[in-house]
Amino acid sequence: MLLKLNPNSGEPLYLQLMQLIRHAAESGVLRDGDQLPSIRALAEELVVSPNTVVKAYTELEHEGLIELRQGAGAFVSLGRRARAVLDHIETAKLRAGEFIFELRAEGLRDDEIRRVFDAALMGAPHEARKR
Amino acid sequence: MTGPAIQTKDLCKSYGRVDAVREMNLSVGAHRITGFLGRNGAGKSTTIKMLLGMIRPTSGEGRVLNCRIGNPSESIHLRRHTAFVAEDKRLYPYMSVAEIIRFTSSFYPDWRTGAQESLLRKFELPPARRVGSLSKGMRTKLALLLALARQPDLLILDEPSEGLDPTGVEQLLEILVAHCSEGTSIFFSSHQIEEVERIADQVCIVEHGRVLLDASMDDIRQYSRQIELGFPFDAAGLNFDFAGVRRVRTAGRQMTLLTSGNADEIIDRARGYGASSIETSPLRLRQLFLSMVQENSDALV
Amino acid sequence: MLWYKAWLETRARFLISLCGMTSLGTWYAYNELHDASKFARAEWYFRVLHTGHTLLATMWVAAVLILMMGGLLRERDLGTAPFTLALPVSRGRLMRTRILVGILESSALAIVPWTALFVTVNRFGSPPVIPQALFHLLLLAGGGVVFFATAFLVSSSVEGEYTAPAVSIGLLFVCVFASDDRAFRDYNPFNFILGTEYLDRASQLLIGPAPWAHVFANILVSALLTALAIQSIQKKDF
Repeated sequence: MLLKLNPNSGEPLYLQLMQLIRHAAESGVLRDGDQLPSIRALAEELVVSPNTVVKAYTELEHEGLIELRQGAGAFVSLGRRARAVLDHIETAKLRAGEFIFELRAEGLRDDEIRRVFDAALMGAPHEARKR
Repeated sequence: MTGPAIQTKDLCKSYGRVDAVREMNLSVGAHRITGFLGRNGAGKSTTIKMLLGMIRPTSGEGRVLNCRIGNPSESIHLRRHTAFVAEDKRLYPYMSVAEIIRFTSSFYPDWRTGAQESLLRKFELPPARRVGSLSKGMRTKLALLLALARQPDLLILDEPSEGLDPTGVEQLLEILVAHCSEGTSIFFSSHQIEEVERIADQVCIVEHGRVLLDASMDDIRQYSRQIELGFPFDAAGLNFDFAGVRRVRTAGRQMTLLTSGNADEIIDRARGYGASSIETSPLRLRQLFLSMVQENSDALV
Repeated sequence: MLWYKAWLETRARFLISLCGMTSLGTWYAYNELHDASKFARAEWYFRVLHTGHTLLATMWVAAVLILMMGGLLRERDLGTAPFTLALPVSRGRLMRTRILVGILESSALAIVPWTALFVTVNRFGSPPVIPQALFHLLLLAGGGVVFFATAFLVSSSVEGEYTAPAVSIGLLFVCVFASDDRAFRDYNPFNFILGTEYLDRASQLLIGPAPWAHVFANILVSALLTALAIQSIQKKDF
């Protein structure tokens, strides 16, 4: 499994790793029942602390995406709830893709678009703005 | 193992009127990788030597693997379960590589012959060559082998990658990560901040013999930010004295802040002041470190 | 394997001294005596024995002073002290090993060259030599122990790769030059080893009861010096 973590981003590595694994599951690279690398193997491959891998796997288990089997390892286990979340994310990606297409048509560059999303995420209210 | 791998309480060391280490309160977690950053002369090596019984503290106490550092027999016990690579990686010049391996392995029940053989191959060390005739890079690798061909409870490394080429550094980091996977706690000091950033779970920054910061890399990544503000007026004199702000630089209408926390509050206040542009970006460990030690050297200590 | 390390550290000095002393002592005795059948007087043999002893004793003291250089202070200069001190052994054990290896090597440096000397003297038809041999060796051991302990103390408290041996050899020079000094004469361990006090000029024999009291006093002094050395290292910061 080819993964790359970004030490530059302002995000804890375990969250990045979780996102990478989620993405792999969403796009079908990882299928239900596939075994994930052992903690030691993944830590060595990515050259990160094994605690990062442990945290990522543990959180993903809480989310229902993977299953940690004692003595055997970590396995992808798409429970119904996880599958629903993944489907939702896939549809949301399509909607975002359409919006990005519009912004590009208006002349914005990709890095400008990224800044738009970052700023909006930071400033976005948690309740819908009353229109 | 329960409890921290290393814990010190108000550890001090003075040489005459010079305080090398001042009320050092360290807590290094077990089964984790902890980076120890500091400028030259900040007290890192002195602290490590006190932990291993090479230097007697002026005052204070410490425990390594739950053994008191000031008690001679407990100190021997902790050394049996700790592997150490000193800053000066010199080894007995009159022994051959094979001889010093045999010598060192005789002291440790946790020696792993399999690891020894694989490291000899990986580091390309000639067993028959005298240590005195090894190049500096090979000496470093040999010193590392003597520590890493074991499965100790604790690994203490003082500038382990000094003298290694990039391939060697990568090998070293992989080996450290593998050791931690097997349960070894790792405590290493380094000037290579990027290496620490990659593998450390926890980072401890010291300056003038004191701990300035003791935080997890996750928290540092999540909360350290560089905030660039633009105002439609001269920004001098605007107040941003939040906890965590490490450096503020003002140039006309532009202001740059480096902070290890409270980014949201800073942005709110900037908006309140009428900032026309607000840009945040992640703050790398190197920038955070430099901003902290330089700020501290300006302040009256 | 601490013994092995101590051996490796002193091996060269030890072997050079052993070969040098044995060959020089034997050569001297052979040179003086190989046509000695013409002068078959007892005191001639004993003079050679005693002079040979003086030669060997001087070399022995110098050798032991150099042999006992080393230890943790020297390792600090070399840069290997952190490695050694990180080993799960006490400083006391490190020092005891060095002392014991030093005693074994110093004993070998006494027994082998002296035996060669005595055998050579005996071979050319001298009267029985064993009682005199033993007396000489007693003087050597009884006085040498002070030099041994002094060297150990110097190596444990004087810093500097060349300063420590310079101080040690310097002390030997002091003893040699002060050997005539009336006040110091009774206490000078070098004089004790040479046995001038017990030498009968006519017969060239060492006579008198064996000086056990003096030997015992020397041993006490050596024990004190050794204890000081051990304390010095225990307290040091590396």
